Amino acid sequence: MEAPVSDDLVLADPGEIRRAMEYYADRGWTDGLPVVPVTQSYLAEFLATTSRDPDEVLLAMPQLNRRCTVRLAAINAGLAGCRPEYFPVVLAAWESLAAEGYVTRGIWQSTTGTAPFLLVNGPVRQRIGMNASGNVFGSGFRANATIGRAIRLGAINAFGLRPHLLDQATQGTPAKYTACIAENEEESPWPGLHVQFGLEPSDSAVTAMVIRSSLHIEARHTTVPEQLARDIAGTIARTGALIHETISAMVVLSPEHARLFAQAGWSKDDLSQFIYSSAVLRRAELAAVGKDAIARKTRWRLPAGHPDAVPDTATAEGHPDEVQVLTSPGAVLVAVAGASNAGVSAVVETFGPRGGPPAVVKVDEPPAPA
Amino acid sequence: MSARAMARTCGFPGYEFATVPHPIASLDAMQIGERARDVLPEVVRILGVES
Repeated sequence: MEAPVSDDLVLADPGEIRRAMEYYADRGWTDGLPVVPVTQSYLAEFLATTSRDPDEVLLAMPQLNRRCTVRLAAINAGLAGCRPEYFPVVLAAWESLAAEGYVTRGIWQSTTGTAPFLLVNGPVRQRIGMNASGNVFGSGFRANATIGRAIRLGAINAFGLRPHLLDQATQGTPAKYTACIAENEEESPWPGLHVQFGLEPSDSAVTAMVIRSSLHIEARHTTVPEQLARDIAGTIARTGALIHETISAMVVLSPEHARLFAQAGWSKDDLSQFIYSSAVLRRAELAAVGKDAIARKTRWRLPAGHPDAVPDTATAEGHPDEVQVLTSPGAVLVAVAGASNAGVSAVVETFGPRGGPPAVVKVDEPPAPA
Repeated sequence: MSARAMARTCGFPGYEFATVPHPIASLDAMQIGERARDVLPEVVRILGVES
């Protein structure tokens, strides 16, 4: 594939800027929105923020025989509108996606239509101006917007995952344009996600997750932690989320909701444990939607009367009327983000059963100036 | 289009394939059998079987 980088252009007037944008659009090097032209000299500014070899492979897709190198990641970060100083975060995001593993097994080509979702922790958030508070899933902040977009443009330009071609998403998700938030560590009563999984508070980190959607929770009505946790668990345990036998989630609590739990003495792990125990569907609820059994080989949910149906785990274990939709407390991660102004939180529906530690990757410090 | 794009990507631009209509996952055994019967002549042609 041709790398989406042009010779140095002299952009003397708005007409030339428009021509440059059309040049990139005509070649299919965009996500539909205009991109920033990346010249060789601009590319060099991104590569100067890392000591890595430009040819180092960050993520490979063997089924396509294509790879995203440090150079391709830098080009697409530039196209996305990143400033060069954001690039170490973009690199960590690619590494995290590779470590998580779903992307390398073709999930970005699937009809499910998943998107990359990035959670950023540590001091880099302030250093590059990331938003962790109000409108955290929304627009308005260059670092959030462009770091997430850098990954999506990399999917398009390094791997050729264009809609209607190698990307077969039935509907996709708006998160495919960009989905990158920072944890609101300053207003969280708990350690940041990166500290929860072994890094120091002074470290910066990116945790990437393949996601299917983000669900909004309105819960301004209660100060009882169990009620709020059941509201969240009920949001996770919706029948429409179930293709496989189980699902997984990242709960993104607003600071107000996080404090409600913390003031009652709950840790992040306590909340995960409670949600795990409460995210339960009754057999009748599953039967009503035809998902009360699983397929023999794929273990996808289907009606009990289907010729390929076998009993699900809950039935096999002797508690058929209590079907847990999460495999373990580890299948629910908890982070804090958003403004301290309302009882509003979100469930990010992550892809796969999970349960193991997330792919938390430390952000490298830029090399010292020569 | 995805199948043709995948074939080009993998270096087999002329790769032949058969298609069956959606849906598949929700069909019962008899309906799946019908889909298989419908597509069989095309599979046989691609395999180069001569009658």
